[in-house]
Amino acid sequence: MRSVSRRFGETVALDGVDFEARPGEIHALLGANGAGKTTLMRILAGLDRPDAGTVEVFGRRIENFEPGPIRALGVALVQQHFTLVPTLTASENLVLARPEGALLPPGRTAGVRVRKLVEQFGLEVRDGVPASQLSVGERQRLEILRALDADAKILLLDEPTAVLTDVEAERLLGVARALADQGRALVVITHRLAEVEACDRVTVLREGVEAISDGAVAGYTRADLASAMIGTDTSGTITARTTRRTQATPVCLRVRDVSLGRVSSLSLDVGEGEIVGIAGVDGNGQSELEAALSGRSAAESGEVSISGESIAPGDPRSRRGQGLAYIPSDRYSWGLIGPMDLSDNLELGRVLPIRPNRPARHKAARPSLSHWDVRTAGPHARTSSLSGGNAQKLVLARELDEHPSAVLACYPTRGLDPEAADTVATRLVAAAEAGCAVLWIGAELDELLAVADRIEVLYDGTLFGPYLPPFDRAAIGLAMAGDAADRARTATSGEAAPA
Amino acid sequence: MTSPDTRQPASGVTPSSKSTWPPKLDGWLDAVARRATAEGILSSILVPVVSALAALVVGGVLIAIDGVNPLSVYHAILQGVFTKSRGFSYTATVATPLVLIGVGYALAYRARVFTIGGEGQYLVGAVAGTAVVTAGGVGDLPRVVLIVVGLGAAIVAGALWGGLAGVLANRFGASIVISTLMLSFIGDSILQWAVRDGIRDPESYNANSRPITAAALPSFFGQKTHLGFLFALILVPIAWWLIRRHRWGFRIDALGHNPGTLNANEYSSARVTLSVLVVAGGLAGLAGMVETTGVNVRLGQEASVGYGWDAIIVALIGRLHPLGVLIAGLAMAGLTIGFESAQRQFELPSSLVSLITAFVIIFVVWGDAIAARWKEAR
Repeated sequence: MRSVSRRFGETVALDGVDFEARPGEIHALLGANGAGKTTLMRILAGLDRPDAGTVEVFGRRIENFEPGPIRALGVALVQQHFTLVPTLTASENLVLARPEGALLPPGRTAGVRVRKLVEQFGLEVRDGVPASQLSVGERQRLEILRALDADAKILLLDEPTAVLTDVEAERLLGVARALADQGRALVVITHRLAEVEACDRVTVLREGVEAISDGAVAGYTRADLASAMIGTDTSGTITARTTRRTQATPVCLRVRDVSLGRVSSLSLDVGEGEIVGIAGVDGNGQSELEAALSGRSAAESGEVSISGESIAPGDPRSRRGQGLAYIPSDRYSWGLIGPMDLSDNLELGRVLPIRPNRPARHKAARPSLSHWDVRTAGPHARTSSLSGGNAQKLVLARELDEHPSAVLACYPTRGLDPEAADTVATRLVAAAEAGCAVLWIGAELDELLAVADRIEVLYDGTLFGPYLPPFDRAAIGLAMAGDAADRARTATSGEAAPA
Repeated sequence: MTSPDTRQPASGVTPSSKSTWPPKLDGWLDAVARRATAEGILSSILVPVVSALAALVVGGVLIAIDGVNPLSVYHAILQGVFTKSRGFSYTATVATPLVLIGVGYALAYRARVFTIGGEGQYLVGAVAGTAVVTAGGVGDLPRVVLIVVGLGAAIVAGALWGGLAGVLANRFGASIVISTLMLSFIGDSILQWAVRDGIRDPESYNANSRPITAAALPSFFGQKTHLGFLFALILVPIAWWLIRRHRWGFRIDALGHNPGTLNANEYSSARVTLSVLVVAGGLAGLAGMVETTGVNVRLGQEASVGYGWDAIIVALIGRLHPLGVLIAGLAMAGLTIGFESAQRQFELPSSLVSLITAFVIIFVVWGDAIAARWKEAR
């Protein structure tokens, strides 16, 4: 791939990226969220087209970016989100992907096909049960088998280990090595340093540009890779706070041993007036943490409390009454109701049993809208007519207007233009300086560095930290890529071994 | 920087408990309900009125094919409703169950809770109410008490029948469309058993209940119109007020537009779903008892006349608005009553009314789709 570029609207996903995969090698593609890794691989697989640049597969220049012909050349992409038909068995899924003739083969023939592949590649998959009943590891292996069934010469694996346990992930990397030894070219998308070390070559993408281009893995230290991934440029879109909290304050938001999905037994305290930033690459438990803390889902175990009072899941009005404000990561799914008007959206969570009439509701909404600078035609406007920034300001108006004692802010600047992002950040900082405990879950490290009093890194459902100002950017970057977790594991196994 | 590949929902957390099966059916119904409540004169008035007129034109063509002048048929229909002495009164009587059930449907569909179980709830309500008012030893009670107790039992039974679908949906993710449909068949079976065995009049040759004359609803205007029509008339402003001014109505609309946001900020969407099914079921149960005690003398095998199904059409044509439901219910009842006399006069097939109503609903859904496309284009 030569100087490939791709933009989505205003966003530049890829900006002149060169990339090469060679037979017999595993090439790691490393990068933080939104670095363009997946976009690059989607282009290579023909699921997307570049705006500029060329792609060649085995010397043949691709003109038509269609998945079919490219697959025929031997390129297979195993996507991060499974694409199996959940109600079909392993053999049926294979037959569906590559039918032989118009008729379905008898179950036995299809079964033989699966067994042959399983034996040939050592990827164990149970046949005869619907894919939905297979473990995630098996499903992943089935996805890979399906690609190999089509005799893929170039195998692209998009975050293949994101859903796997450590043992399964290790096994998968072993399989990848075996496939490379057979002369296939493999590309593994990842944001974990441990996995990069199992590869031959590495390309690091940052914001659509190569930070490291096609280097030999052996030539880089972990710190090199981590800083290439997160960058050293500290000029974020958000104005950095000039003052930080100087002394410890009483604990306001207390999280104790919360487990939900990927998040396991997580504990965290946020003091009054403190901004705690949760850094980390998406998919390490952020969404589960958000769901559990906001009370949207009941945690499997553990407790969230505010000023000593436990917060019950599934009871948003009480949560609000207890003083926990919630700025959801997806404001359109969990924060706002598009077809209803602005005053209705401001009332969510505190609707009176008998509501005032519409003019009175609109009148009541006006001061709040102007205080929070929601630019709109008026309180009667439909919420879906708001721009992203104004929609987020509307959420802030509802959540922060009543001076909550704690705020759970999840990706509060996501999708906003720089000006709006800065406004949102300023408002949250102001809330903290007024004594509110702020837990800020964010994907962009620069933002957190600009505002947080303390940063914790969420990796694989566990918190690593604390990191205190002045922040050591490189150390946080290493922790985000799993270095701290790897060290912790080695330490425990090292202690366990002699005993 | 946020690029599309970071927007995927993370695994492990299901954002909402709403059942997604079968996706096609619910998605289609969602579009129908969303368009039916679209703002503006086009969707709220023009589409249903033009659709009704268009259906009458198609009906006219069918009448003409039958060799009869459609204009004289429609003239006779209008006469049947407006000039015949009992036309109004019969129309109101037929409209009563349509409006009672239709308002329940309208509330449910606003919440995108797609119940189609009005018929079953209507029958279960009628059976429960009849069982109470014809039970041994209650005959001496004053009529008012019997009426109140009978209607109360019907409301409770209908509400339970509707609530059952809500429990199935919230607990097991069962599709409300499917479960309410199935519960309607079970409701009919309960009626059949009840009139043959459970509450059968031992002295009657036919399979039906004891007479409910002791609990018969008073009629007014000295006509066929019974107290139930008054209930329907009172229900309309109450439902309207609930939607506009009460928290429950707000939650219903919020559930319909975005269950995730309702859940995260205001109230459990599962409980709102359950409550709206209970209310819609209670109203259908009330309709069943009102019909039994207002129009009939006994509850019989043939009590299932399809008001629970027709009310779905009434709710949609009435734009899921209580006032619209009242108008649509009266119009549909008027068409039925007027056609009854015209049919005898011109020897027309009795299925013509169902045909015309079927065309109305086709045109309404079609018209809504066109209106939605126009709005998008602009």
